[in-house]
Amino acid sequence: MMNIRFSRKQLCIPYALFLICFVVLPLAVIVYYAFTDGSGRFTLENLLSFFSNGNTIGTLCYSLVIAAVVTAVCLLVAYPVAYVLARSGLKRGPVILMLFILPMWINFTLRVTALKEILTVLEGNLSLHPFLNTVIAMTYDYLPFMILPLYTTLLQLDESLLEAASDLGAGPAAVFFRVTLPLSMPGIVSGITMTFLPAMTNYVILDMIYNSTYIMGSLIGSYFNIYDWNNGSMISLILFAVICIVTLITGRGDRNNAENRGAIL
Amino acid sequence: MTAERKTERIFCRKTGTVGRNRFRFLAGAAALMVTVSFSLQGRMLTVSAAEPSESSALAQTGKTGEKITLRIANWEEYIDEGDWDEEEAIELEDRENTVILGENSMIEDFEEWYLENYGMEVEVEYSTFGTNEDLYNQLTLGNDFDLVCPSEYMFMKLIAEDRLQPLSDAFFDTETEENYYVRGVSDYIRNIFDTNTINGEPWSRYAAGYMWGTTGIVYNPEKITREEASHWSILADPKYRGQVTIKDNVRDSYFAALGILHEQELLDPEFLNADDRLERIAELMNRTDEETVAAAENILKQMKENAYSFESDSGKADMVTGKVLANYQWSGDAVYTLDQAEIDDYYLAYAVPEECTNIWFDGWVMLKDGINGSEAKQQAAEAFINFMSRPDNVVRNMYYIGYTSVIAGGDSDLIYAYADWCYGADDSAEDTMEYPVGFFFSGDTSDPDYVITAEADQAERQLFAQYPPQDVLERAVVMQYFDQENNQRINQMWVNVRCFNLSSLTRQDWAKIGIGVILVIAAAAVFFKRDDVFRKRKIQN
Repeated sequence: MMNIRFSRKQLCIPYALFLICFVVLPLAVIVYYAFTDGSGRFTLENLLSFFSNGNTIGTLCYSLVIAAVVTAVCLLVAYPVAYVLARSGLKRGPVILMLFILPMWINFTLRVTALKEILTVLEGNLSLHPFLNTVIAMTYDYLPFMILPLYTTLLQLDESLLEAASDLGAGPAAVFFRVTLPLSMPGIVSGITMTFLPAMTNYVILDMIYNSTYIMGSLIGSYFNIYDWNNGSMISLILFAVICIVTLITGRGDRNNAENRGAIL
Repeated sequence: MTAERKTERIFCRKTGTVGRNRFRFLAGAAALMVTVSFSLQGRMLTVSAAEPSESSALAQTGKTGEKITLRIANWEEYIDEGDWDEEEAIELEDRENTVILGENSMIEDFEEWYLENYGMEVEVEYSTFGTNEDLYNQLTLGNDFDLVCPSEYMFMKLIAEDRLQPLSDAFFDTETEENYYVRGVSDYIRNIFDTNTINGEPWSRYAAGYMWGTTGIVYNPEKITREEASHWSILADPKYRGQVTIKDNVRDSYFAALGILHEQELLDPEFLNADDRLERIAELMNRTDEETVAAAENILKQMKENAYSFESDSGKADMVTGKVLANYQWSGDAVYTLDQAEIDDYYLAYAVPEECTNIWFDGWVMLKDGINGSEAKQQAAEAFINFMSRPDNVVRNMYYIGYTSVIAGGDSDLIYAYADWCYGADDSAEDTMEYPVGFFFSGDTSDPDYVITAEADQAERQLFAQYPPQDVLERAVVMQYFDQENNQRINQMWVNVRCFNLSSLTRQDWAKIGIGVILVIAAAAVFFKRDDVFRKRKIQN
């Protein structure tokens, strides 16, 4: 018995090493750089300058807006798709799901390049609608990440709960809003996390789709490009904080719902 | 015949893209990952710092037969990798009727040549980099290279930071047969490397040129006149809104903005005829005072509104596919763009603004840390520069890369013969012109030995881009490396241009945002109060 427990612990070692080398240590280095100046002295200047600079605040707002819009659009598009695929018992359901997931097998730069050509045909000139194009490209890119968790959650939905709701007199709308939607909350939350966070930083898509305004990712990159690791690290750290806040908020919504589910049961 | 040759040259070019900044967008892909590698390399720094003293101690013993390891870093796709087809052989009409064919990679050939000529074995560890900044970061984090090939502003920075090993006296001895660089480099380039100084030291003390060129505008002559394309202002011209691309780096864009800012002065007849015109252009285009930077910021913001994109590599493809009409480009990439378009029978041209142009170089420099006092290593590094400057190898590299070498050939007429092979019109061609290239090859434009009889349109196309005429070089200035303070000012300006600033929103915008937020809150309120809503309905039912 002892022996087995011992070896289980050992199995964690590779992951622990990975975690230390690639998560904890880099984070420590970022924190070090964020709170020092060029000559290595402790300073809060980087933190203060982030919040006193119209550019950095503006970029943070711009990134948040892009991420929020992309996430909202993804959710609105993905939910009906996932619902239909999971609930309506389509014969070819899995095949259709496959069609949505298939693009993920192709590298996203290739997909965005293809999308660029399509948008050029539709719009004539890409540079006229940089924000719209960015939202379209990111929605296209992250849609599968939204559909998949929603699909899995909706698939596992207990049919009897819905039947019970109907039997007790709830109309279709009430069944959806009072039972289906709350129960699919975990899927929504994980979908949002998987879309919102990368949408804030993926500046490669912006570059490729010719939106020349910086988002958080490109702002950090620009600081590292001019060897200003201190300010770059501080912005990374602030982005990290924003991500933590978003995760906490969505996570809490999730937990609340878990309680709700208990209430329903 | 010529047309065939040209297409042959185009088709045979090995790879899809030749970009100086190809992987730029991947460069800092995510700051987290960057920092990961920083921290790792930083940790290794302590380990590797101990190594060189050992290895150099070995090398310093200087025993013949000792194997030297030469660590070289160069741009991606910036050296001939050999493996040409038989049909690719270039039959030149020089004095010896040389046939050029790259069988092995340049690196292999060098190792063999070094053993034959110097009686020592050398092993080259060849790596590539995507941007000057990547290279610099790598140099900062560890002792990884002995010989590198950055652009002029980066080697100026390295000279200023005292990190480079001066070239030895032996390297400059023109009597030595193997000193192909000093024997072959164009006088025009040699002069620039001798007269440009940083901290009182000329470039040539540390750097040997590799490729060079100008910056200018690639344009579609059917839609844009050459006159329009010959001014920096085309990049901010509302007439071509959404149809021009700009470089996604602060130095090139700043230069163009200054070109627009000082347009009137630069084109003033008195200025044009001034004896010290070149010095005056250089002074104007290297200004970094607050007033100038602020003015440039406004122009760049205008350019951002007007441009199709800020690009570091995609501009070439967008130009070839016709998405844009004009493209701010380095001459080497301009040649590539024109070649690519030509495959589809789409004819583009290249113009250098009348105001001025930025002459750029990529050059070989040795790292002090890397060489670490080892004479054997320095000898190998200098031999590598010379091997790359040997006329037949210059032709191989130029054929493979498509850029223009700084080497004119000296006693050898091979490089001129290659230019003639590329651009010389064939006897049956009707519309030809005499294009003098003596300025580069012999220092004298009117030198009758260096006149290429080319098809007439080449005066505005590839030949013009590869070997600019004298009047272009008379307005070609070096953009200096700026010191810390000025650099910071320009970089801050660039961030201002690129970032979304809340202060740029008008009152109307704020009103729209306000309405939007209220709507969202209202929607949320309705959603969360839906229970009440449903209940009421139920009662009504």
